[in-house]
Amino acid sequence: MRHAIPGHGASRGNALGRARVRLPHALEVAEEHIPATKVESELQRLHTAIDAVRVEMRNMRHQLHGALAHEVGEFLDIHALLLDDPELLQGLDDLVRKGLYGVDYALRLQRDRLASVFEGMDDTYFRSRVEDIDHVIGRVHAMLHKREADLRGVAGEILVTDAIAPAELSQLQSQGVLAVVTAGGSALSHSAILARSLHLPLVVGAHLALQQVNDGDVLLVDGGSGEIIVEPNAADLRAYRARLREEKRERKQLHRLRREPSRTLDDVDIKLWANAESREDVASAHAIGAAGVGLYRTEFLFLQRHELPDEDEQFRAYRDVVLGMTGRTVTIRTMDIGADKADRTGLALADEPNPALGVRGVRLSLAREAVFETQLRAILRASGYGPLRILVPMITSREEVVAVAALVKRIARDLRSQGHEIAEHVPLGAMIEVPAAAIALSSFIGAVDFISIGTNDLTQYLLAADRGNDALGDLYSPLHPAVLRLMRDVIRTAKARGKSVAVCGEMAGDPTLTPLLLALGLDELSLHPATLLEVRRTIRAQQLDALRAAAPALLRCRDRAAIERWLEQLS
Amino acid sequence: MIERELLIANKLGLHARATAKLVQVLSGYRSNATLVAKGREVNAKSIMGVMLLAAGYGTSVVLRVDGEDEATAMEAAAALFERKFDEGG
Repeated sequence: MRHAIPGHGASRGNALGRARVRLPHALEVAEEHIPATKVESELQRLHTAIDAVRVEMRNMRHQLHGALAHEVGEFLDIHALLLDDPELLQGLDDLVRKGLYGVDYALRLQRDRLASVFEGMDDTYFRSRVEDIDHVIGRVHAMLHKREADLRGVAGEILVTDAIAPAELSQLQSQGVLAVVTAGGSALSHSAILARSLHLPLVVGAHLALQQVNDGDVLLVDGGSGEIIVEPNAADLRAYRARLREEKRERKQLHRLRREPSRTLDDVDIKLWANAESREDVASAHAIGAAGVGLYRTEFLFLQRHELPDEDEQFRAYRDVVLGMTGRTVTIRTMDIGADKADRTGLALADEPNPALGVRGVRLSLAREAVFETQLRAILRASGYGPLRILVPMITSREEVVAVAALVKRIARDLRSQGHEIAEHVPLGAMIEVPAAAIALSSFIGAVDFISIGTNDLTQYLLAADRGNDALGDLYSPLHPAVLRLMRDVIRTAKARGKSVAVCGEMAGDPTLTPLLLALGLDELSLHPATLLEVRRTIRAQQLDALRAAAPALLRCRDRAAIERWLEQLS
Repeated sequence: MIERELLIANKLGLHARATAKLVQVLSGYRSNATLVAKGREVNAKSIMGVMLLAAGYGTSVVLRVDGEDEATAMEAAAALFERKFDEGG
């Protein structure tokens, strides 16, 4: 029987396919014994599956770029270690070899044993590590099944589940899942943001989905409106086909936008910069017509290794980005490393009670001046190859800006006297992510050439809410009146002094928030190339003067619901 | 074989992230490594084993390393403990 289930659209796109329902605690496997003669082949099967999951995780790690790379990557690292864990593997081996259990059942036993130990711990943190074990064992289990019957994979199906982790999404997509429906979740979660950048249809908050959808039901999912139709009728299918044609047309249009300006209906050009950290990012930024690179992250040069990169290695990396952008400006952010990053070089100072409030960003750079000088020398040398700007993270007060500016000036002089060809003037910018810097911007705006608002950290610091802490729920959100008002002030202060100002947090890459950012007075955004064309399309449909006229109403909003209503009224 | 008593001085104790760091460091060496605490002995190259110790802040553990590169492995692991796993507190 046809019926509709309401949900919230979290990532646009339509999908028609068989439902695959994944209930929580899906590892319900019956007791299964094997004859001693089958032990070797059973273990062989297990190790083939484990190897395949390992490759899958490695590929996922490589595919991660941008803002999510750090957070999601950390989970993946822990999962990869669990997968290789000698205790886990030995336990499975024993269960099959000595207990003569089939691998499916061995996985379940091992999962239950480990879970019971963790669940018995006093510490809630350790108790919740069961999730990691479930995830890893669940992956291996799924892999075993995929090999046995390819049809049981999620390829060509719509996954219906209680919740989805960001790390799982990119993997599901590479497996060919058509869409994902979750009973919980929010359109502002990291998973939703990731789904949008992967162009994977996602509906969240479909509370009834787990009760009302069965494996094998035909589902029609609209990731835009959030509507889910179970067992669609002929009229639904016609409407679906029409939407598909529309989508196809849209994709074509989007593709054509590569060469179009990011210009509003009232002829104002908005500068769309790309965030980048890999060669692929730079190549795609160039291909889709980004104005330049607005944020080139340099941490990857320092992390995941034991020795610091020397000047020449860094110089080559920065020069290649400048060359890759063929004359468009490249903004290189100096190292943004703190005790919270997986630093093995010993660069970050240890012994910090609270890394987010500790020696990180420019604070670390100034504390380790020799390392910082090496980086600045490398950046300045790259400036000889094309337009380049320097962006300094975590600026809190004037003294830091003055110190960095003096250092840059001195190094530029040194380099010139050593015969290096460097740019006449290399603009210096400050990341505005510490509330103090935002509030007291006028105290140092004269000492910088431009600023870039890092909305992720600014939101976290302003709301005193750790963005990685799930227990805080929706508390971490840039759609808080305080964040919007502070951004408005920052933009005003910068513009009044003739300085350019961009936004480079995740907000900038979310096309649904583009009108809000334009209303606040921004005319430069820096975002991951994955959603740049969608943001460009949104910009081309906006009337900027009307948006700016609606800004006072936006700033009068008293809570997130009101801000979301303001956004809805526009569309 | 060498042995050294080490103090867990980071506030969160040997939770997943810190454990991952320890396992990653030790896995870079050939030597076998064992962690002893609360009367239990676990493979220090196993994230599961180390986490199951649930060794919290202030716990004293004994790290035992055995193999050709035991001295450097111990040095690297001890440094990580001293740096409080690079996470402070």
